[in-house]
Amino acid sequence: MIFSSFSRFLSRTQLPVILGGAGARTCAVEGPAFRVASRPQILATAALAVAVLSSFAVAQPAQQQAIVLTGGKLLTVSHGAIENGVLVLADGKIAAVGESGKVKIPSGAKVVDAKGMTIYPGLIDPESNFGLTEISADQMTNDLVERSDEIMPHMHVYDAFHSETELIPVARLNGITNAVVAPASEDTIPGQDIFIQMYGKDRDQMIMGRDIALAMNFGSEQRRRGSAGRGGGGGGRPEYPSTRMGLVTQLRQAFLDVQDYVAHRDAAAKKDDKTFKRDLKMEALIPYLKGERPVVIGVYEGYDVETIMALAQEFHLEVILNHVTHTQEILDKIASYHVPVIVGSIYDFPRAGQRFDAVYTLPAELAKRGVKIAISSADAGGPVSSHSARNLPYAAGFAVAYGLPYDEALKAITLNVAEMFGFADRLGSLDVGKMANVVVANGDPLDVRTDVKQVYIQGVPVPMENRQTRLRDEYSK
Amino acid sequence: MHFFDPLPPARRTTKYLIAAGILSIAASTAAQQAPSVPADLVIRNGTVMTASHGTIEHGSVWVHAGKIAGVGASVNAPASATVVDATGMWLTPGIIDPHSHSALDGDVNEATSPVTPSMRMIDAFDNRSADLYRALAGGVTTELLLHGSANMIGGQAVVIKNKFGLDRDAMLFPNAPGSIKFASGENPKRVYGGRDQLPSTRMGNFEVMRAAFEDAKHYIAEWDAYNAKAAKGDKDAVAPKRDLKLEALADVLRGKLYVQIHCYRADEFMTEEAIAKEYGYKVRAFHHALEMYKVAGKIAADQTAIATFADWWGYKDEARDAIPWNAVISMRKGVKVALKSDSDDHVRRLNQEAGKMVHYGGATEDEAIRMVTLNPAWIIGVDDRTGSIDVDKDADLVLWNHDPLSTYARAQKVYIDGDLFFDASLPGLGTTHFSGVMHDSGGFGADDEIGEEDGQ
Repeated sequence: MIFSSFSRFLSRTQLPVILGGAGARTCAVEGPAFRVASRPQILATAALAVAVLSSFAVAQPAQQQAIVLTGGKLLTVSHGAIENGVLVLADGKIAAVGESGKVKIPSGAKVVDAKGMTIYPGLIDPESNFGLTEISADQMTNDLVERSDEIMPHMHVYDAFHSETELIPVARLNGITNAVVAPASEDTIPGQDIFIQMYGKDRDQMIMGRDIALAMNFGSEQRRRGSAGRGGGGGGRPEYPSTRMGLVTQLRQAFLDVQDYVAHRDAAAKKDDKTFKRDLKMEALIPYLKGERPVVIGVYEGYDVETIMALAQEFHLEVILNHVTHTQEILDKIASYHVPVIVGSIYDFPRAGQRFDAVYTLPAELAKRGVKIAISSADAGGPVSSHSARNLPYAAGFAVAYGLPYDEALKAITLNVAEMFGFADRLGSLDVGKMANVVVANGDPLDVRTDVKQVYIQGVPVPMENRQTRLRDEYSK
Repeated sequence: MHFFDPLPPARRTTKYLIAAGILSIAASTAAQQAPSVPADLVIRNGTVMTASHGTIEHGSVWVHAGKIAGVGASVNAPASATVVDATGMWLTPGIIDPHSHSALDGDVNEATSPVTPSMRMIDAFDNRSADLYRALAGGVTTELLLHGSANMIGGQAVVIKNKFGLDRDAMLFPNAPGSIKFASGENPKRVYGGRDQLPSTRMGNFEVMRAAFEDAKHYIAEWDAYNAKAAKGDKDAVAPKRDLKLEALADVLRGKLYVQIHCYRADEFMTEEAIAKEYGYKVRAFHHALEMYKVAGKIAADQTAIATFADWWGYKDEARDAIPWNAVISMRKGVKVALKSDSDDHVRRLNQEAGKMVHYGGATEDEAIRMVTLNPAWIIGVDDRTGSIDVDKDADLVLWNHDPLSTYARAQKVYIDGDLFFDASLPGLGTTHFSGVMHDSGGFGADDEIGEEDGQ
C-alpha cells in the first residue's frame, strides 16, 4: 500500500488535480476553530475545489460560488483591523469587506464561519527563485543564473519558470499567494524578473507579469571574469573586470551603449532603414533606462550603496534597493534617496564586534525614517533559497520583535510589495475590487505557532495540501 | 600538542576539568566589568517553563552558588538574595544546541580520509568567535560542537558552556561525556566519490565503517593479549603501539563515546542501527534524521534520539522527503526529539524553531520547549546537569520578554551557572564578561562546509 501511493509522491510533475482524490479527503479546512457549517458542506467545498481544478484545462481558476467569511478578525492592511468582520469573495475578487452586520451577504453564497480566525491578504514574497530550482544540490534542477557574462539583461525568468515546482505548494500552505521570481544574484545584471500567482495549472495561468523588473547586483560577491576568488587575488584569468572599478565601469559603458543603440535605432527608423539589426541585450535594457520599470539593486555594504546609487541616479533608474545589510551608518542617506527597500534578510549576520541585533533592527530603523520597506524570504547571507519561503511571515514578525510597528511589518509582506512592483491595484490588501487572494489562519499571521487553515486565490479555496502533507498523512497512519 | 597527548580519551575530560577550575578563576579576575556573582539570586514572579514539570505562572527560581536551589510558586531564599523581578516575563532553561559547527573558524571537516576518529574539535575551538556571542544573545547556553559530515567516522566533539568572554578552558562543559560524529549518505559519497576514492556509494559508506571496526576489534584483541601476558608477569611482553585512530575507534566499541550520526534516510537509520548492534555500541542520536517520521516506531525501540531541523528541506536529494511534521510525528511514536541549528544563523533563534512545532503537529508548549532544552541535553549526555529548571541543576537560565515560543521573544538576560553573561538592557554588546576583539568566522556553520577543494 505504502509503495503504491509512494510512487505517486515521487513524481514531481503531477498536478494537484491528479491528486484530487487524495485532496477530497484532506483539502477541507481542518481544526475545530475554523468552523465550516456542516460536514456535507466540507465535502461540497472539496468537490468544488476539485471541480474547479478540473476545469483548469480550459480556463483560468475561476470562482464559481460567492464565499462569505464571517466573524473573523480582518487585517485589511490598508484600513486597519476589523475585529468581527465579514469578507465577501465573488467572481475572484473581494466584493465586500466590513464589520459584521454592516455587510450585505449575497444570496446563494457559501457562508463560512471564521470566528476565532484571523483573515488577511495573501502574502507576497518580493524576492524568490520559485520555479528556478527544485533540489538545490542537484544542478540539473537549477536554472538560477546564466553564468557566461556579468551583464545579461536579456535573460528572462519566464523562459525558465517551472510552474509545477513543489516549492510553490509548500510556501502557499503558509499563506504566500504571490511572489517576485528573480534570477540568482551572482551577476551584475542576471536578467529580468516575473511576478507570479502561486496557483494555476500552467505557466501562463501563474505568471501575472513578465519582465516586471531588472535584477542588478553590486558588491564583493559579483562574478568577475578576472578573478577566481574575491578581491582579485584568486589567480583567475587576467581579464576585465576584476575589481569594483571594473564592474561599475562595465555597467556604465553598457548603459551608454544602450543610449547609443537607441539613437542609431531611432535614426534608422526615421530613414526607414530596414537593415538595422536588433540587439536583444540592448533592447532589454531600454525600458529600464527610460525609468519605465524598476531596477532591483542587491547591495550589502554602505559604501557599495553609495557607489551604485550614484550610477543609478546618473542614468535616472527607478530603483528598489535590496538587502542593504551593513548600512547602519548611512541610514539617513538611504532615506534621502526616496526609494523603496527590500530589507535583509533580517537574518544576515552583523559584523563581528557589532551588537547582535544590528541587522534585526534594520527594518525598524528604515521604516522610522519613512522608507517604504519590504521583507523577503531570503536566508541569511546569501542567495535566496525559496525552500524556506514559507517562513516569510516569521521574518516580518522578527522585525516586529526588534521594533518595527506591527502594521508596517504586515505591509512589508503585502501591500508595500504590491506597490513596489505595480500590482497594488490588484493585490496587497483587503479592499473591494482587489483579487480575492485571502488567507485564513488560527491566529497572528506573523507568529511561528500559527496554522494557516485556508488559502483562497482569486476566490478559489486552494487544496491545503502538498507533497509534504501527503507524506505526513501517509506515515501518520 | 594534543596530537601527542599521551592521555587516553576517557581521561581527557578530567584533565580539562582541572584546567577549567584553575583558569576560570584567572579569567574572572582578569575580565573587565565582571560583576560579582551573588551568592543567592531570586528571579521572581515570572512564567517559569521548567521543561521537566510544566509551566509555573507567577513562579520564582532561587539560585544558590550557581545551582538551582528552589523553584515554585514561592522559594525559601534568604533575605539577602539579589532579586530580579520577572513580572510579565518568561523564564526557561538555557537553550541547548546539540549540533553546531560554530566557533571552529571553518575547521569542521578533516576531509582527508573517511575515518578520522582521533580528530578532536577542541583543537579548533575559537572561544572568541562572534557566533558564540550571537548565540548567547539568542539564549543558547550549551552547544555540542561537532566534526562535519565529510567522513563516515569523523572526530570527537567538544561540549561548551557559552560563557562568552571567558578563556577557552573555562568555556568547556566540565565532565561532559565525549561524543563522536559519524556520517553517511551524500556527503561522504560526494567528497570521496568526487576524488574516485572509497566511498562513492552507500555500499562503500558502510563497508568503510565495518572495516574500521574490524581494525578496532583487532587492536583491542592485541591489547587484551598484551595485558594478559603482563598480568601474568611476562617481562618480555611488548605493548602494542598506541594508535590514536584505533584508540578512538576502540572507545566507540567500549561504549566510552556517544555516537552522533549524521544521516537523512529511513534506510540509513536501519543500516546504522544494524551495524551498531553487530559491533556492540549504541547510537545516541541521529542528526538531521529528516525521514525519521517514516520509521520512528521501529527506531524508538533502540532508544536512539534525533536532532533534527524544524522545517528545512529540498537542499539536497536526501532532504527531498523532509516534512516539518517530522519532529512531532517522531516524538508521538516514542523517539526523543531535539531541534538543532547546524547553522550560525538558526542557533540564534532555536526558540522559534521550537515554536514551529506547535504549528506543525500540535506539540504542547511543554513538549516544544523540551526539544531545545532537556532533550538536546540528553543527546549530549548532560541532562543530569542542565536542560531543565530543577533543584540541584546548573543555573543555566534565560529570561525572555515574551513567550519564547513566539516570533516576538527576545532574550533579556542569560545566566550560566548562575552568572549573568548577557543582558540586553546593557549598552553596547550586552555582554558582561567580554572584552577585546571578537572573531568573524566565514560561512554559515553548516555540516556541508568542507572547504573549497571539496565544494560541489
